[in-house]
Amino acid sequence: MEILTGNELMSGATVYLDRDGRWVEELQQARIFGNEDLEAREAALAATRKTLRIVSLEVETVTLRDGIIYPDRIRERIRAEGPTAPRFDRQHLDEDGHVSI
Amino acid sequence: MYRYDEFDAAFVQERTAQFSDQVARRLTGDLNEDQFRPLRLMNGLYLQLHAYMLRIAVPYGTMNARQMRMLAHIARTYDRGYGHFTTRQNIQFNWPKLRDVPRILADLASVEMHSIQTSGNCIRNITTDQFAGAAADEIIDPRPVAEILRQWSSLHPEFSYLPRKFKIAMTGATADRAAIRFHDIGLQATTSKLGEIGWQVWVGGGLGRTPMIGKMISGFVPHEHLLAYLESILRVYNRYGRRDNKFKARIKILVHEEGLDSIRQQVEEEFAHLKGGVLTLPQEELDRITRYFAQPDYELVNQTTVDVAREKIVNPPYGRWLERNLNAHRQPGYVSVTISLKPVGGAPGDATDTQMDAIADLAERYSANELRVSHEQNIVLPHVKVTDLPAVYAALVDQGLADGNAGQITDIICCPGLDFCALANARSIPLAQELTRKFQSPERQAEIGDLKIKISGCINACGHHHVGHIGILGVEKKGTELYQITVGGDATENAAIGDILGHGFVADAVPDAIERLVDTYIARRTSADEPFITAYRRLGKEPFKEALYGNA
Repeated sequence: MEILTGNELMSGATVYLDRDGRWVEELQQARIFGNEDLEAREAALAATRKTLRIVSLEVETVTLRDGIIYPDRIRERIRAEGPTAPRFDRQHLDEDGHVSI
Repeated sequence: MYRYDEFDAAFVQERTAQFSDQVARRLTGDLNEDQFRPLRLMNGLYLQLHAYMLRIAVPYGTMNARQMRMLAHIARTYDRGYGHFTTRQNIQFNWPKLRDVPRILADLASVEMHSIQTSGNCIRNITTDQFAGAAADEIIDPRPVAEILRQWSSLHPEFSYLPRKFKIAMTGATADRAAIRFHDIGLQATTSKLGEIGWQVWVGGGLGRTPMIGKMISGFVPHEHLLAYLESILRVYNRYGRRDNKFKARIKILVHEEGLDSIRQQVEEEFAHLKGGVLTLPQEELDRITRYFAQPDYELVNQTTVDVAREKIVNPPYGRWLERNLNAHRQPGYVSVTISLKPVGGAPGDATDTQMDAIADLAERYSANELRVSHEQNIVLPHVKVTDLPAVYAALVDQGLADGNAGQITDIICCPGLDFCALANARSIPLAQELTRKFQSPERQAEIGDLKIKISGCINACGHHHVGHIGILGVEKKGTELYQITVGGDATENAAIGDILGHGFVADAVPDAIERLVDTYIARRTSADEPFITAYRRLGKEPFKEALYGNA
């Protein structure tokens, strides 16, 4: 299973593509792409690139347990939560930082 | 300190205006990320895990109070109230927003600072001994030559697209406090048989994936020919450095694969063309730049020493601070003070805006308006009167900056690691925090003595783990952070790369593993005066390996 993630251009905040085609802060709202969704995933990536607003666009593998999304890589778990030490809140989107495809 | 001339001011202002326009075009979509990325990197703006990161140059680690206050202002206004001082004597801000960066650069320009060439395959910030211009063991203050090298290397048209980044470090003292043998070029002041002061030139040192100790390519280059000689090295590197493989592109690989003699011959051939040409440095120009770095107006003082033994009894924390955080000064009655950015449980190298303002105040009041950033991620007040030490200490206590641990086991170099860095594989700051908690007892630290721990969160080695007396390298294996421990590294003139002793440890097991190494050292040292690194060299790796892994 995979999700799409990146950083929003203005704030640099970590964002995820949700089911409605919006780039949102919350990992648990991310759209999950299965093996059968390859075409949809590629279309979403292409549409996102067209916006020019999502940087460092990546496909990340995740595991779903009891409806909760767990990124497979430690890096992605930290990206989702913010730095662990010193503990800081993650970066948030500005009012004009909302992107849809 | 050096003051910008009209050329410096113009080029920094031009670059700020250029980048402001580039940001505006990126935000309107006139530039895409592929077009914008190299432009932002040329201005020190990275995109890390959570946000942008802006790296600002502190040329040869020297700042004045006004500049430090500007860094505090940037931290407070555009970031999250703190900055991170790095092993290249720079400062990084972890949370700027893209639209604010032009304003940050304009603010920096107003105090003669910038972020140019803090990224990219160019000559980066030239670093020096943090006690430059103040140390008692100094042959020459390296900063005038460092400033000349800064001018030579800034926007150098021939060297803006080198095969890979290029780092130069220099020291004017006999003791190497700038890790010059682990830079692409290292310069060490030396005196010729005729009594002339010039430079030993070391080449091909570096850390990262393939750590190498620099090799001496010339035993003596006089000031007047230094630019021509360095240009010759850069030309040979630029011509033959490998551009086909990023991991083999640094000059250390070229020197290693080609051989020092061959590289030296090619450099000498190039030097024969350049020597005596436009790059010749006239003595009057060196004198002109040197005047910017004139010694402060020292006072003649009666008290030239401090009774550390007495203070350790009367006020132990103050006594410990005196014992650990002072460096001998060239001027009687003065010392250089290391302000530790390594509190127990803190992130090494971090300082808040309030602390930066307070440090600026101290520099203005007690240190001839001068500050230094050390490659060990501390701040230095270079010129402090011995009689002012109680007042300086009291002010540092108020700011939580009075840890007397310079050079001790808790004075850890540590990269940002996977908590911030897009390249990292494992976290490093939490480990540093845990180690400072484990060894926080002042008595325990005093018992251990000089011991440098250096931690990197990936093989790029920003935390200099290869040259830690104890080095820790974080890696990721099957979704778990593992930490490989090395022992015996040394960044000084006795340069050595640490030995890998065995398999890695999970994070929770690292502090106890380090303690076993420390206990082994204490049990086997000849006396309390034999430092860890000396004992390791005498004993070899076996007892330490056994301490980590048993004798199975």
